[in-house]
Amino acid sequence: MTLISCKELSKKYDDVLALDKVNIDIEKGEFFGLLGPNGAGKTTLLKILTGQIKSSEGTAEILGMNIEDNVIDVKKKIAIVPEQESPPSFLTPREVLEMVASIRQIENPDIEEWITFFELEAMEGRVCRNLSRGQKQKVMLAAAFISDTELMFLDEPFINLDPIVQTKVRDWLIQYVENGGTVFLNTHLLENAQRLCDRAAIIHNGKIQSMIKINELDSQNISLEELFHEIIL
Amino acid sequence: MNRLILWRMLQEEIRLNTSFASGKGFYSFPILVSISGFLAIAFTDEMIADMGYIEYLEVLHFGILFYGVFAGTLAFFGNEFLERIFGYLGLIIGLPTTQPITQRKITLLYFIKEFIFYSFFTLIPAFIGGLIGSYFYGIDLINLIEFSISLSFSFLTGLSFAYLISSLYRISWKFSVVGGLVTLIIYSLSVRNIAITPSLEWYLHKEPIFIFISLFNPLIISFCATILVTNYYEEGSIKTIGYQDRLKEYIEKFNWAKKISNPTIISKERIDLQRSKTGTKMFFSFAFPLGILTFMNWFIDKGLPIQVDFNTIFYGVMVGFFGTMIYSWLNTIDSPTFYSTLPVTVSDVVRARLVLFFTITWWIPLLFLSLISYMSSEINLLPIGIIVMITVGMYIVNYTAWSTGLRTNSALFDAIVFLKFFVISVPPMIAMTILSLAISYSISTVLIALSCICGILALFSIFFYNKIEVKWQKETFD
Repeated sequence: MTLISCKELSKKYDDVLALDKVNIDIEKGEFFGLLGPNGAGKTTLLKILTGQIKSSEGTAEILGMNIEDNVIDVKKKIAIVPEQESPPSFLTPREVLEMVASIRQIENPDIEEWITFFELEAMEGRVCRNLSRGQKQKVMLAAAFISDTELMFLDEPFINLDPIVQTKVRDWLIQYVENGGTVFLNTHLLENAQRLCDRAAIIHNGKIQSMIKINELDSQNISLEELFHEIIL
Repeated sequence: MNRLILWRMLQEEIRLNTSFASGKGFYSFPILVSISGFLAIAFTDEMIADMGYIEYLEVLHFGILFYGVFAGTLAFFGNEFLERIFGYLGLIIGLPTTQPITQRKITLLYFIKEFIFYSFFTLIPAFIGGLIGSYFYGIDLINLIEFSISLSFSFLTGLSFAYLISSLYRISWKFSVVGGLVTLIIYSLSVRNIAITPSLEWYLHKEPIFIFISLFNPLIISFCATILVTNYYEEGSIKTIGYQDRLKEYIEKFNWAKKISNPTIISKERIDLQRSKTGTKMFFSFAFPLGILTFMNWFIDKGLPIQVDFNTIFYGVMVGFFGTMIYSWLNTIDSPTFYSTLPVTVSDVVRARLVLFFTITWWIPLLFLSLISYMSSEINLLPIGIIVMITVGMYIVNYTAWSTGLRTNSALFDAIVFLKFFVISVPPMIAMTILSLAISYSISTVLIALSCICGILALFSIFFYNKIEVKWQKETFD
């Protein structure tokens, strides 16, 4: 079953073509990585797929729905971790999770579990404005994970996280996909992509340059990093 | 190097403005100013006949002085709000954090940039409008040039005053209050036997000493402001620890509003308002224009041969109108980007902020109106004043919310949006102001007319509120 499908998707900012006729299909249960250098168009594509911005041309369907016509219906069924950690400045981490659970109408949300998972107990009584970037990122991830959706969009989720939490998040994501979840991961951390993804696309100058099955790289005697360098440079 | 930084700052200012207002709207603003300059010349004779020569010139100078203060306040305090609206915003003024240049130097360059920007953005366009007007209405060109120069000095004085306040504020807010008051007192004493600004005194009597004083005043003020700029500035943070989780409690409290808005969003906004201490800022932002209004009232009473009494109903109109400021404050508390990760539309947030405006912040305008009414011994007019205030407030705030969404401050920079706002807000206000001034002549007629206008405004309020969904539903938070 195809959960994400985009056809001839383009995005223009004035005269800059940020995305150039992108075609991608992602199946249920896939861990998909979108890799590319800075400014390649990764975040633009993720923002279009999650209804945060509109495309200039082409169509994108998420969970069988056209994203531009069904933004709210799609957002109810997906979780998003944007590139910039931006939890509400004046809420405590617990309040952020309560807010997410309330807006998403999640019955019996396990807030304690996520507070513990991300070691946010020490942040109780503090508002997000006063947290470090890594702590804010933990709140953003907790807000996504608590949403209990079948599809997750993550934009550079490991940036600012300490190695211990990175490992915990990686393990949780692997478990999530094994349980039937689907992940769309934007990253330029190739090591994480190689560890996590089933399939990946390399995007450069707004165009998909290559579609890779990660487990086939070994048989070709090439690492993801080498392939990436070959394509980009 | 300084010239290059200055040039880049000017480019940055233009790019910043065109990024949050449309380019067309931004570049239309000087045209509007030119038209205003032309109209000021066209109606000079009538204004002088009504107000008196000196008083008319004083009003113009007083206006431009406050415009300078306003522009400076926006420049030196605006970045904080912009960051709250748009998230992180890196500007050249922040260069000293990473580059070997002092904060003092970059802030001085920023101040100079502001004067150049506003000169090209408003002062020169106003002069061009005046120039065209002088051709048609036979005003002496030399006189116009001299008066324009004198206005520029008054503007510069206002701008440098805001610069000083911002430098003091970065030391401590108490310093800014005390320093601001001391500067105002010194300034008032220095102009007590002359015109309202030294540059006007120079224009009126052509004594060369006053042109030097006109230049010397802003130079001294901006010099002091520059000296006070420190390299180590720590932003006064809000309380760090000890916040109680109150979201659930507020969601229950606002459950009554679930048919018109989302109680969770209202609760989040309510907590933002409380913890950011924006209520205090709202209070003072009310006090400032009302103080000017009261001063103008006193000034006009003093200057005009006839007595004009602004009564409680008039203040009801004004206080209701200033409701738009409260709404715009609500839009500056926090960046709305987090909402983009949730199944929430821009219109949901706009409506939540409107509910908050009408339920939580009502005490600020009510307090002001009651105070004004008490001080004017017009408690009998207070009920009518309150009705007028609520109606005007609902009308203007619903229109502002409908037309500007979550970006009120930046949207009003767009000349086209501003023009529409002007057209929508000014006619009913003028009608109500005239009626309020006529209440002592025919109370019943005035009350009937006021009721009719209030009824119409209330209907328009409902219309604008209902249109918010259509206008903002598909807008993104990005």
